[in-house]
Amino acid sequence: MKLIYSPGACSLGIHVILEEIGQPFETQRVSTRDGSVHKPEFTAINPKSKVPTLIRDDGSVLTEFQTIAFWLARANPSAGLIPDDLEGQARVLEMLDYICGTIHPQGFTRQFRPVNFARDEADQPRVVAQGKALAEKYLALLADSWKGDEWLLPTGYSVADAALFFMDQWCGRSGITPPDRITRHQQSMLARPAVQRALAREAA
Amino acid sequence: MNTLYYAPGACSIGIHILLEEIGQPFEAKQLDLKNGAQFKPDFAGINPKSKVPTLVRDDGSVLTEYPAIAFWLAATNPAAKLMPATPDGQAMALQYTDHAVSTMHMQAFSRMFRPSNFAPGEADAEAVKARGRELYEKGFAVMEKALAGKDYLCGDFSFADTALFYVSMWWVMRMDGTLPANVAAHYARMLARPAVQRVMAAEGLA
Repeated sequence: MKLIYSPGACSLGIHVILEEIGQPFETQRVSTRDGSVHKPEFTAINPKSKVPTLIRDDGSVLTEFQTIAFWLARANPSAGLIPDDLEGQARVLEMLDYICGTIHPQGFTRQFRPVNFARDEADQPRVVAQGKALAEKYLALLADSWKGDEWLLPTGYSVADAALFFMDQWCGRSGITPPDRITRHQQSMLARPAVQRALAREAA
Repeated sequence: MNTLYYAPGACSIGIHILLEEIGQPFEAKQLDLKNGAQFKPDFAGINPKSKVPTLVRDDGSVLTEYPAIAFWLAATNPAAKLMPATPDGQAMALQYTDHAVSTMHMQAFSRMFRPSNFAPGEADAEAVKARGRELYEKGFAVMEKALAGKDYLCGDFSFADTALFYVSMWWVMRMDGTLPANVAAHYARMLARPAVQRVMAAEGLA
């Protein structure tokens, strides 16, 4: 198994999941900033030019955060990263989709890459401001609706928490003030050895 | 009975199709998105994200997000065979669904359809639309390759096909676009399914 990641990108969540599973895996670092994801070496593996990208033991490639997280959790049941029952699995997917399909691209991509939204530099501060406002709105909605206590789901820790973690980290990077629950979630995550190992590897 | 909140021709059409494929009774409630019904307390109380599709289940609990609803419907109705039987096959169905929903719909189509949500300056609107078109075509290229030698994305019909169907439908019906060959054949195959025909008629698109 090999994870292709970019330091600090959303792929950090999958990195955490692989560390939680605790089986050996390899990593390959690319950068979403220097254009290396658009070079032929990478597009031959993932034509969508995105991280996370997972190359499995049989050489097959899996893409899309939600899909990779869901597959890893179900393929490694002893790691306890997803509820056994269908209802719990649907709730994990629902959380993954909201975090990765809405809050990330609509809220945070606006802040990190305003040029993807407005070419005119004069407009970019407005794009960033809109991204902040949207991220704050979405995170407040998430904090109001989540049913768990320390973790997102009432059934306990799951791959959805690893998704929320990359976003916990982004709140600091973007200077928005997250709801208290999100701050506490980040602290709980930072106390996990698997999270510490993933962060250390990405910082090295 | 499951209740689906939908808007005619919106992405909820894919979930509407899955409910028709299952063939159990369900209720479909139409939301008038143009008049902001999704933001009014009646609906925001059900789904604070103010989005379709929204599914209210037998026990009154609410499920949101296209891939989550699709997976749950497929998994709770195994006789309808709406996804592959193995976890690996199910991962493939989710991967195609995520690509259609998160990238083609939310990144590409939204740029073409609502450029002002992306660029605040009107001068940029055409550039945003062009970027949306480029992303959409790139998205179809991935689907075109995935469909090579196959009738449906995972071989047999699955919930992933309903996601590809709605992004194909938007390209044809709203953007007057031409689908690549395999995707066009897939779209025709979908339109030939009785469940799809019933939904097109019910949503006023036939």
